[in-house]
Amino acid sequence: MGSIYALVTLGLALVYGIMRILHVAHAAVYTIGAYIGLLIFQLTGSLLAAFVVAALGCAGVGVLIERFVYYPLMKYPPFVPLIGSIAVMLSIEEICRLIAGPYILAFPAKLPFPDIQISGLQISSTLLAVYSITAGVLLLLWFITSRTELGLAMRATSQDISIAGAMGINSHFIVSITFVIGSAIAAIAGILVGIYYNQVYPTMGAVPAYKTLALIVVGGLGSVPGAVIASLLLGTAETLLIGYANIPLPRDALAFIAMIGVLMWRSEGLLGSSR
Amino acid sequence: MTESRPILTVKGLSKTFGGLKAVDGVDFEVFPGEILGILGPNGAGKTVLFNLISGIYPPTSGQILFRDQRLDSLAPHQIALSGIGRTFQIVKPFGSLTVLQNVLAACGITRYNHLSKVWRPWGAKAEIQKAREILEKVGLIDLADRKAGLLPLGNLRRLEIARAMVVGQAILLLDESFSGLRHEEIAQIETLIRKIRDDGRTVILIEHNMRVTMGLCSRIVVLDHGRKIAEGPPESIQQDEKVIEAYLGRKGMGHAA
Amino acid sequence: MSSYIITIGTLLVIQAIAVCGLNVIVGYAGQISLGHAAFFGIGAYAAALLSTKAGLSFWMALPLVMGISALIGLLLGLPSIRVREDFLAITTIGINFIIEALFRYVQFFGGALGIGGIPRIVLFDVRLKGMAFFYLCALFLILVLLVCYWLTKSWASLACYAIREEESAASTLGISPVRFKLLAFVLGTSMAGLAGSLYAHYMQFISPSDFSFPMSIAFLSMLVLGGMGTLWGPVVGTLILGILPELFRPLVDYRMLFYTLLLLLVIRFQPSGLLGEESTARRLLATVLRGRLSR
Repeated sequence: MGSIYALVTLGLALVYGIMRILHVAHAAVYTIGAYIGLLIFQLTGSLLAAFVVAALGCAGVGVLIERFVYYPLMKYPPFVPLIGSIAVMLSIEEICRLIAGPYILAFPAKLPFPDIQISGLQISSTLLAVYSITAGVLLLLWFITSRTELGLAMRATSQDISIAGAMGINSHFIVSITFVIGSAIAAIAGILVGIYYNQVYPTMGAVPAYKTLALIVVGGLGSVPGAVIASLLLGTAETLLIGYANIPLPRDALAFIAMIGVLMWRSEGLLGSSR
Repeated sequence: MTESRPILTVKGLSKTFGGLKAVDGVDFEVFPGEILGILGPNGAGKTVLFNLISGIYPPTSGQILFRDQRLDSLAPHQIALSGIGRTFQIVKPFGSLTVLQNVLAACGITRYNHLSKVWRPWGAKAEIQKAREILEKVGLIDLADRKAGLLPLGNLRRLEIARAMVVGQAILLLDESFSGLRHEEIAQIETLIRKIRDDGRTVILIEHNMRVTMGLCSRIVVLDHGRKIAEGPPESIQQDEKVIEAYLGRKGMGHAA
Repeated sequence: MSSYIITIGTLLVIQAIAVCGLNVIVGYAGQISLGHAAFFGIGAYAAALLSTKAGLSFWMALPLVMGISALIGLLLGLPSIRVREDFLAITTIGINFIIEALFRYVQFFGGALGIGGIPRIVLFDVRLKGMAFFYLCALFLILVLLVCYWLTKSWASLACYAIREEESAASTLGISPVRFKLLAFVLGTSMAGLAGSLYAHYMQFISPSDFSFPMSIAFLSMLVLGGMGTLWGPVVGTLILGILPELFRPLVDYRMLFYTLLLLLVIRFQPSGLLGEESTARRLLATVLRGRLSR
């Protein structure tokens, strides 16, 4: 489960890194991804098509959100776009509910990965798919950001958006590209979760929405590797805690407690840098 | 005419950001009643120096002494309470408040630390009068009821100085207060600064405008790459080889007015 | 007046008190709090426990309730305010989740079933209900508004506004950002606590889900709609967002969507709210008034 968090948190960390906006609506993009994926799968029976169309669709949604909500609100204090983000997320949740119904829909797909056994541990095909796809996405992202010109531009823009502009980088374009990438990843994560739990429902975004916020804080705002590490740690911690569920607090609260704890110890998060 | 005991001492001051040494072992003293200029090409560490003195950054090493009191471990608001005021290179007006309220906010410095006094209303005649007097001195009295966020740069710089004047009963740190001003405005502010000095206060200014700096300052400290490379009266600075090299060797030169 | 209207009205007034508290934090001091419902809940639970388990009357418990809300606000506010601005939003969300979880899972607070049997408020030997209770709440709202008004005239408010506009410049004027942000926070949370107490005695039964994150969002929406930092903004916003769903009863399915779209539109096109400085509503009003006056 930690790697799913990692996938979702990844997009969020990317967006925060570049725009310093807490993109709560990212979870809504993730939900849309699951729904589109399910729809395409039901229409065509092809998982690949589902992934592709969902990724494209969500990329579009992400850019729309960025252009219509975040970019115009950039000059206001940060809680203004944050409220906008929350409003977008809740609206999308409602739209999904009105269109597809509030019921849990099944996503009975089988990913083309084998079920394997490693030293007595059963890893289902879906779980294996989750791990491999997460690893693949992380690798791809690492490659893009560190080896390509686009990645360089992205890193420059996230450092300082005005200086990047002065250096001839079309910063708005870079911001939109970041949203494209982040949203596409969210779509993939949404489909994977839908398949893994065999559930797609309008409020499925609520669970990761706020937890992933806590995760990017713990990992260090603006640090993508930090966010990934924090996600994996949280996933592991939650799994362990389910086994020893004596603590009278639910998993959601756990993420926040961890976050507050880390913040009090190190106010920039695990791998963050003070700005 | 200077007293022998310095009002501000900077000893071995250094500030490192990541791997970058923004300020590197700077020493100098400031004497009461003088106007000290801090010069240096872009990136020399001048604003960082001000941020260190006014408490916005803690130094990596070194000391800052105000008379005999150590400033380097204090928070900005505590340093302000000692009577040190500053302006910012990028102006920071309280945009939705009026010009008068901006200055009043500075006048509140005597109350902010007393839980009992802080609840009193700020409309009293005496206080408003005092604030208006400050506005008169900087020439902003006609704009007293205008929203600060709507003012042009020249007026905003004066507002910054007004606020700093209220707080800086002992020392004023002026960071590029002449940037972006027209000729007449520059002359007005020069007169204002001289008046402040004549009132018995000490002024330290960072400036790029050479003519103004040479004309106003009794002594100048020059920084380059975070280090002090020269110190002395304007005449000797103008002829100092290291200073000339530092400016000519860089693109970001100060411009003669 | 029908009891239905009185019910709605009373709830609106109680919520408006909470939103006024949020206004102090968000509007006056410029700090984002997405966990205000937690303090509403702390007030409610404190009142519920003090009256059911300790047998205190509303009046005796009130200073305790507000004190507890303020104290917890202080304790939680201290670490929250030291963190960077962006973190504060997340931290307050976290506070909401954690407090709600505490209410839900710790038996002392009645667990998921909440606390019931909370007595009505007694004034001069009369058990207040209906219209009388409404008047009491309205009185508290007026008191809270007076406090807010008096606050805006004080030096403390100048400090808060300064912090809100330019924190670093404010600190060079001798204003300690931590101190004043905390002050605003504590004031805001104690107002929320007051509202919570009234809520508990009104509903006579409270449960953890009354104080969850969506409630914080609702409070914030009311504040944003009415106008952050204005005196009457909280009241206007609460009124509109409280009355609208009643008007849209037939479209009950679309209510939530309407809410959220409204919030989105307001924040996108008029972030300063209806009563805010450059709002269209204000300008329209000014034009109308000028037209009237010039006749």
